[in-house]
Amino acid sequence: MSITDLIYLSQKSLRSNILRSILTSLGIIIGVSSVITMISIGSGARIEVEQQIERFGSNNLIVRSQSSSNRGVSMGANSVNTLTLKDMEALKEELPAIKAIAPRVSLSTQIVANGNNWLATVTGTTNDYFDLGNWKFQNGRSFEEEELNSGSRVAIIGKTVQKNLFDTDSPIDEVIRINKVPFTVIGLLDAKGGTAWADLDDTVIVPLKTAKQRLVAKKFPGDQIRSMTINVRSSDLLFKTEKDVDTVMRKLHKISANGNPDFVIRNYAQFLNARQESSRVMSILLATVAGISLIVGGIGIMNIMLVTVTERTKEIGVCMSVGAKKRDILLQFLIESLMISLIGGLIGIALGLGVIFGVSEYFKWKMSLDYMSIVLSFVFSSSIGIIFGFYPARKAANLNPIDALRYE
Amino acid sequence: MGDNKLLALDNIDLSINEGDFVSIMGSSGSGKSTLMNIIGCLDVPSSGEYHFRDNNVSTLNSNKLAELRNKDIGFVFQNFNLLPRLNAQENVVLPLLYSGKNLKVRNQLAIEALESVGLKDRVHHRPNQLSGGQQQRVSIARAIAGSPKLILADEPTGALDSKTGLEIMKILNDLNAKGITIVLVTHEDDIANYGSRIIKMKDGKILEDKKNVNN
Repeated sequence: MSITDLIYLSQKSLRSNILRSILTSLGIIIGVSSVITMISIGSGARIEVEQQIERFGSNNLIVRSQSSSNRGVSMGANSVNTLTLKDMEALKEELPAIKAIAPRVSLSTQIVANGNNWLATVTGTTNDYFDLGNWKFQNGRSFEEEELNSGSRVAIIGKTVQKNLFDTDSPIDEVIRINKVPFTVIGLLDAKGGTAWADLDDTVIVPLKTAKQRLVAKKFPGDQIRSMTINVRSSDLLFKTEKDVDTVMRKLHKISANGNPDFVIRNYAQFLNARQESSRVMSILLATVAGISLIVGGIGIMNIMLVTVTERTKEIGVCMSVGAKKRDILLQFLIESLMISLIGGLIGIALGLGVIFGVSEYFKWKMSLDYMSIVLSFVFSSSIGIIFGFYPARKAANLNPIDALRYE
Repeated sequence: MGDNKLLALDNIDLSINEGDFVSIMGSSGSGKSTLMNIIGCLDVPSSGEYHFRDNNVSTLNSNKLAELRNKDIGFVFQNFNLLPRLNAQENVVLPLLYSGKNLKVRNQLAIEALESVGLKDRVHHRPNQLSGGQQQRVSIARAIAGSPKLILADEPTGALDSKTGLEIMKILNDLNAKGITIVLVTHEDDIANYGSRIIKMKDGKILEDKKNVNN
């Protein structure tokens, strides 16, 4: 008896009980859709983390000023600038794990050029800022040593600023006015895209010295700075360096080990870890749901196949009397349970795809469809059909033809 | 139970020749069903031997028995035993499926078999769309589709009215005339009378085995 004949007979009997077949495969449907969703949440999170590292650079710590809270009342993050370039030099000297530090001062202000104006964040920093932040140049160049030292009025602009101020793609040598001070554009940065909370490309970068002299002299007097980005030599040293920076900073600022610090250290890896952790928890949850429902689904199939075998005992007897061998009967029932589980698998894949697209649309949560997960789902559901269908099929095949024929 | 073994058949010595039309009669519990199961290769005797053509059936395993039933034996049951989900043609094709005939050949054979029992215009009807007599004719078509040597008919008219029953008996008679051996189990005298030989059974023993003079 050929496989096509077996499939033909199986689909005949499944179709005579469509509702029952679909209800039976419910467990498989839920299991398979969970598997698909789980895998795409996992790989989505991984891709998102990779993109974030791409955007913000890896192995970075960010130290910011923070007004020490006075009797539990915070004075607001911007009220005092407690970090200085001296802190930066001291950190570089004391901690060999630090590869580079980029200082930063910033203000939000009106930029005018070409008859257009645009509100952007202006950053004063050094060339390290580009390396640490993974910035790439679409056009032009970074600052020259001489420009940094002399406080030249040169600026590098982000893609959003360029789009809003200029019609051209190459605004090099154009003049923009920041707070009425004219600057020459020397570079255009590659687009990074937005995050949920900020447009990274809405930026203008000028030399630190220029910014301090011409733009933020009042806001950041002397050698005060807003924040610094510390690049650590390797990711293994990241968390140790975070502690070391804290110790050194407390010493420099004369703050006891349990006193309120006037700075805050952000470890970007921490955020990424949290993101990965939450998707891992979600995946474990879904894996549990998937595992349980696949097993329950398998038992459901076994149950309904046992019922089917009992219902069709007489039929089995008839088939045996006209010459069906044990193997024929075994295969026919195995194929029937395999078909139930594959139907469940197909519906589950469709449902899983629906969930993936729904969730990624609605929550803007990055989900990536992994085609391996579809293959995996087929493997899962067919093995469940075969494993749980085997016992009922064997029971059918081992029936004695006379007893089966006599069964009413 | 216990040590008192119940013998369904006791000391049976019987040979049936090719082309015979044998009627087996007996009340329920006489052992005629067990005898039929053994003749039909559905069961093997617990002791003694049964030879079917060149095979010592007593020694065959279940696969060999299935093959033998498939090739050489056709069954006709009292309540037809057709598969309800399959139409007449598909029911007749069933034994040919198990013998591995290809699609074209088996459909051809099935249609021929249905034609020979007068159901040419009913091939696509399901059992529940057919009358009792028509269903029994489908089951005869199923029995003969694989050109068997022996047809076993277990009370083939038991579920039919007498007029339809006679039609069925006429078909069996015609098959016998073509050389197919028929073994018929019945408890009705006038049905048994179609046989050329009548065997009467009681308590697992053959009570009487004689040529049918009325035939």
